[in-house]
Amino acid sequence: MSPAEKGSDRNDGQLSPEDRAEFKRRSAELGRRLDEARPGSELSKSGKSSKNSDSNELMGRALRLSTELIGGIVVGAGIGWWLDTYLMPSVFGVKTWPLMFIVFFLLGSAAGMLNVVRSGMKMKTGPSAPSKGPAVPGDEDDVK
Amino acid sequence: MAADGHGHSPIEQFEIKELLPINIFGIDASLTNSGAYMLVALGLIFGFLYFSTGGRSLVPTRLQSISELIYEFVANTVRENVGNQGMQFFPLVFSLFIFVLVLNLLGMIPIPGITFTVTSHIAITASLAILVISIVVLYGLYKHGLGFFKIFVPSGVPLALYPLLIPIEIISFISRPISLSVRLFANMLAGHIALKIFAGFIGVLLGAGVWAILAPLPLLLTVALTALEVLVAVLQAYVFAVLTCIYLSDAVHGSH
Repeated sequence: MSPAEKGSDRNDGQLSPEDRAEFKRRSAELGRRLDEARPGSELSKSGKSSKNSDSNELMGRALRLSTELIGGIVVGAGIGWWLDTYLMPSVFGVKTWPLMFIVFFLLGSAAGMLNVVRSGMKMKTGPSAPSKGPAVPGDEDDVK
Repeated sequence: MAADGHGHSPIEQFEIKELLPINIFGIDASLTNSGAYMLVALGLIFGFLYFSTGGRSLVPTRLQSISELIYEFVANTVRENVGNQGMQFFPLVFSLFIFVLVLNLLGMIPIPGITFTVTSHIAITASLAILVISIVVLYGLYKHGLGFFKIFVPSGVPLALYPLLIPIEIISFISRPISLSVRLFANMLAGHIALKIFAGFIGVLLGAGVWAILAPLPLLLTVALTALEVLVAVLQAYVFAVLTCIYLSDAVHGSH
């Protein structure tokens, strides 16, 4: 619920185009000023956050990256083990142990690395978009 | 959870106890302490959001501005990670975030013999992660049809490498719900065990004659750890929400 929606009266469906354009301009202006006024939003994330929260953030990153790596390895090894113990002997009647386990363990390690690299890249760039002003009433493209 | 020190095992706090035996057609649906904690969390969330947004004044009251802050925070997370089309998933992300957050924080309130951290059980976190990943897969299939599976095909790679890279991409995708659930569960579990162990040291040192002089040290550490755990509780709820958004963005936008 944006304040703009609440401030308008019953006839907010019948804004004239000029009104709407004016409203959009004002809401964009408000969004820009909010961005400037809010110190903790985009600016501080890029570099000037304090040392203490920095180390906490790094700790969080390290934990996240390690689970990404472990997740990949565990899933790969699990799939390989399952193929070796259940699928290959019962469906195709071949004893493949430990071939599939080794192959999928390696694939899983690669997948874990891929996970780490991907989330590392995401942390570096940081998915950030400029925040918008309040929604304009009757505007479909804003927020569903 | 703290100051027991009677030789209690540090993992005793994670024990699931049956409170109210319920049996529906042979399925054990008993109310456990875990279930009771979740019901309490739901009641708290519902009550808080209902009463704090009841007034709906233009200038928010204190409680209303808390709910509005949480709303804005989650809404911005969704918009930043998924984009505006992602706002249709806002109810999902908001529910997950607030549910995990309240459960994590409830686990931080020490009530002797009762305190239980629901999110320290992998059954709970894995169920949440499976819910998220099912929605990602189903919505991806609904939105892109079979083209959704293009997320498994890396772009700009010679054809000869496909047999190697496609299994890697698939394993990487399957590992998502695992790392999502393990991260939350491991953080909560490890944090609460550490708290219990250091709190146990206080009692042990107090009972060890001269060494009782050292007892304030683990006490200080426990206080510091409690602060850290509250931070971890909030951070992990946030991480859960962010990762949900990142996975949803794959379903919404197709291949990366």
